[in-house]
Amino acid sequence: MIKKFIHQFASPKTYLKQVDRAYPYIFFTSLSIYLIAIFWGLFLTPEDFVQGHSYRIIYLHVPASFISQSLYLGMAFASAIFLIWKVKLSAYLVRSIAPIGAMTTFIALVSGSIWGIPTWGTWWAWDARIISTLILFIMYLGLISLHDSFTNNEKADKFLAILVLVGSVNIPIIKMSVEWWSTLHQSASITITQKPAIDPSMLYPLFASAIGFTGLVVCLVILSSKFHILDRERNKSWVKDYV
Amino acid sequence: MTMTYLIKAENISYKINEKKLFQNISFEVNSNSAIHITGSNGSGKTTLLRIILGISKPTRGTVETNLTSGMCYLGHKNALKQYLTVEDNLILQSIQHNKALDTLLKDIDLYDKLDVVVSNLSFGQQKKIALLKVFLNESELLVLDEPCVGLDGKAQNFLTSFLQEELAKNKSIIFSSHINLNLDAKSINLDN
Amino acid sequence: MNILYFELLKLRKKSRGWLGPILVFILIMTAFPLTVEFLNEDLEQAFFSILWIAVLLVMMLATEDIFLEDYNDGSLEQLVIHTESLSFVIGVKILIYWALIGIPVSLIGSIYCLGITSSFEMALLIFPVLLISSYIFLNLFCFGNSLTLTKGSVLGTLITMPLLLPLLVVLGKVVIAINLGLNYFDFLILLLGVLSIIIVIIPLIISFVIRAHLE
Repeated sequence: MIKKFIHQFASPKTYLKQVDRAYPYIFFTSLSIYLIAIFWGLFLTPEDFVQGHSYRIIYLHVPASFISQSLYLGMAFASAIFLIWKVKLSAYLVRSIAPIGAMTTFIALVSGSIWGIPTWGTWWAWDARIISTLILFIMYLGLISLHDSFTNNEKADKFLAILVLVGSVNIPIIKMSVEWWSTLHQSASITITQKPAIDPSMLYPLFASAIGFTGLVVCLVILSSKFHILDRERNKSWVKDYV
Repeated sequence: MTMTYLIKAENISYKINEKKLFQNISFEVNSNSAIHITGSNGSGKTTLLRIILGISKPTRGTVETNLTSGMCYLGHKNALKQYLTVEDNLILQSIQHNKALDTLLKDIDLYDKLDVVVSNLSFGQQKKIALLKVFLNESELLVLDEPCVGLDGKAQNFLTSFLQEELAKNKSIIFSSHINLNLDAKSINLDN
Repeated sequence: MNILYFELLKLRKKSRGWLGPILVFILIMTAFPLTVEFLNEDLEQAFFSILWIAVLLVMMLATEDIFLEDYNDGSLEQLVIHTESLSFVIGVKILIYWALIGIPVSLIGSIYCLGITSSFEMALLIFPVLLISSYIFLNLFCFGNSLTLTKGSVLGTLITMPLLLPLLVVLGKVVIAINLGLNYFDFLILLLGVLSIIIVIIPLIISFVIRAHLE
């Protein structure tokens, strides 16, 4: 029964139709939320006691790194679905998320290193979280190159899914790296159980920027997935009607 | 009286990169029957054999097997280690060195080649070594992909008479060959 | 154990398969002091970095054609048809490669450690760490190799390299732990735990990948 349920939603054609309908709403809402959050964060929040104005890059860096890890988890989830239930749409999604994930990881690394200059005095440091995020970036690139090196698409999808799942061991390492090793990164200021350690005036724009950034990344994933689905299904009749 | 089948294939289709190779192939193989798969180059004979073996999966259709002592497969590749001697290769294939093996080697003119490194043998000689495991098999089903390639006339006759004896011994054979092997076999043509 | 005997038989004749990596390891470890000024105290610190990287590279070399040869001459197909448990055979194959390459490399690495640090205790403690880490490296590189079986092994092993970097960090900490006399045994148990999971999972994954390649 679960199989039937999944196969109902697994048609690329219905996916594209629903996604096309939802896209304008998602795009404009998240763009506005993010712009408001940026404006709020840049101009309306007070200075940090220690860091001055330079902490404001948090509104780009934190959402970017959070998203890069979440995208990988999304890929792992989709890969599991692909391997168990053989839903082709999942495989298309994994392949389309990979370049977006690489991009957001890159943004996280670069924004992090820009932040490092005023705060730590250096634009690069070999601490555990930076290393594991760099590993994540390399993994994204490796995933893309693995998939593109195969001419047989079905095999490529399978191997991509396996590599995503094996590499997902890196995600807990990133998250726990701040606790396991003493690093330059501060430990989590926002946890589910305790009162946040960050001032509320900075917390709200941070949440808003996280939501907005997530929405924008979802839009990018949608665009990327459209491209990949149309490319892979190009011989089907419904594609000719669609385009 | 229904005979239980050894292998039953139903409506097998195979697509590669969205192009159909063959479709709706069905057959049933019982003891002491043979199937000859024919078709032009590239029609999918090797692919069909690999589907029967279970290595490849068909795009549609099922293959059911009912074997107790397995299949013996000889494909295009010989599964011989090129850097080992013939004798070492036979050890790797769990073939005992006994009188039966000696007579067999004499029949195919390779008796004095036991300690020759395989890469020094000719193509046809290597094929004969690869055929040894077919000659000494203990399976119910033989799956042979172009078994006569590279064999001289004497070896071909030897193989044909061997296969005829196997059929008489209640074994089954599925094979693809451009050469007619004079076996009482049902023919399946993939060029449709 | 037929499989063990078969693999050993194959490798006995194909000595470049296992002797080559060992010689490369000796070469790297011998060349290293030549490139560093001899009188430095940094020799000892740099030594361990070179040791882990050398083990990493040698294990990468060792897996270069571990499956490719069998894939090319058709033995892999025969194995898939006739064996009940392909992952067991793969596990044994990796074990043999480790026994012929990993154990000598660990031994030689410990001897070099004795030579550079002149501390018998250090060399003794490093030996099991080398054994375990070389086995983990070997497993992961075999996995990477199997992914790109048909496209050459370089891409596959490069792709799995990022997975091993956290392990390198841990290995660095083990050396510090030995020097400070801290929780060496905790690290050893951690490594053993990781190894035991990997020994079971990686052959399973590799057998799945190989079957997918043969389709």
